[in-house]
Amino acid sequence: MTSDSVTTTRTPPLSPPRTALADPAVGRALRDTLPVVLAYAPFGLALGATLGATHLPAWIAWASSPLMFGGAAQLLAVQMLDGGARAVLVVLGALVVNARLLLYSAAIAPHTTGWRARWRWLAAYLLADPVYALTITRFTGDHDDGPRERLRYFFTVGVAFWPAWLGLTGAGVLLGGALPASLPLGLAAPLTFLLLLLPMLSSRPAYAAAVTGGLVAVAASGLPLGLGLLAGAAAGIAAGAAMGGRLAGSRG
Amino acid sequence: MADLLTLVVIGLGTYALRAAFLVMAHRTPPAPVTRLLPYVGPAVLGAIVVPAFVAPHGAIAFAQTAPALLAAAAAWLAWRYVKRNLPIALFGGLAVWWLSSWAISAAGGLGLGPS
Repeated sequence: MTSDSVTTTRTPPLSPPRTALADPAVGRALRDTLPVVLAYAPFGLALGATLGATHLPAWIAWASSPLMFGGAAQLLAVQMLDGGARAVLVVLGALVVNARLLLYSAAIAPHTTGWRARWRWLAAYLLADPVYALTITRFTGDHDDGPRERLRYFFTVGVAFWPAWLGLTGAGVLLGGALPASLPLGLAAPLTFLLLLLPMLSSRPAYAAAVTGGLVAVAASGLPLGLGLLAGAAAGIAAGAAMGGRLAGSRG
Repeated sequence: MADLLTLVVIGLGTYALRAAFLVMAHRTPPAPVTRLLPYVGPAVLGAIVVPAFVAPHGAIAFAQTAPALLAAAAAWLAWRYVKRNLPIALFGGLAVWWLSSWAISAAGGLGLGPS
């Protein structure tokens, strides 16, 4: 009892109410997401301006944000439609670019054991590049989060990023051509993706995967429909696994 | 409306790609696949960013490649040394890109550049 009264002088006398915002996983996720949203601002605005500059009705071009929730495929699809490409080719090209999401789904799935099915169905919709990058870095880091903490972390990141992406691309559509003319933002997208990549480079095999993936993608950049990205991804994964296996073998 | 329909089809396909493994009943993939999964993120993002920095407009050209690589290096250094602050790294990278693009085009105008 006496020790309790001593500690109450140092800590607040009442524990804070257990609202969602007071949850440690939610707070951590918000702190991790806010800088990513800020870093996405130039990319989202520039993409919105590009969408708005096509001959498609502005709201249809913007509808790609809630429908696809991923900038790379949105850009490809709307620009191909603008250029008069056939619908079959547009769908094919966008789905090749988004094939990386299949890999994200496989990589994140083992960390969702213990989640109810309905949460996994909903989580799939939110599995965009920044959401994947933040959550996989957290889930594979040196933490012992349980299923509940992982669920709260994932959905806080996703639910915080979703309206930000819709708002940024919408603002870009509305601001229109004023943006790119006065402020070149062409490098904003690769810089943003570089900043998602850097926290993942935590080992030599991870570096090998990124460097090999990048170099093969450069060599294969002439392939149609964005297949160079897939070729690079496949080569990078193989290189990382080969080096990881060799390191594990030499240690064992 | 045909355009909207195309976007809806892509949206449904994209959702299927994202959901494929997340909603399967047995979520522990076989061991050979598990060994590959840690390298998905670095390989995919590497394949996205390296071509964008090395060949910003689809081809390697000094006037575009050099500023882009400088910007990438600046963002990397800022991320590493300024407490992993993403906005500082991003806007620092963009600033280096603008400045070096301007400097290279100015030098080219004076006959100093490789162009």
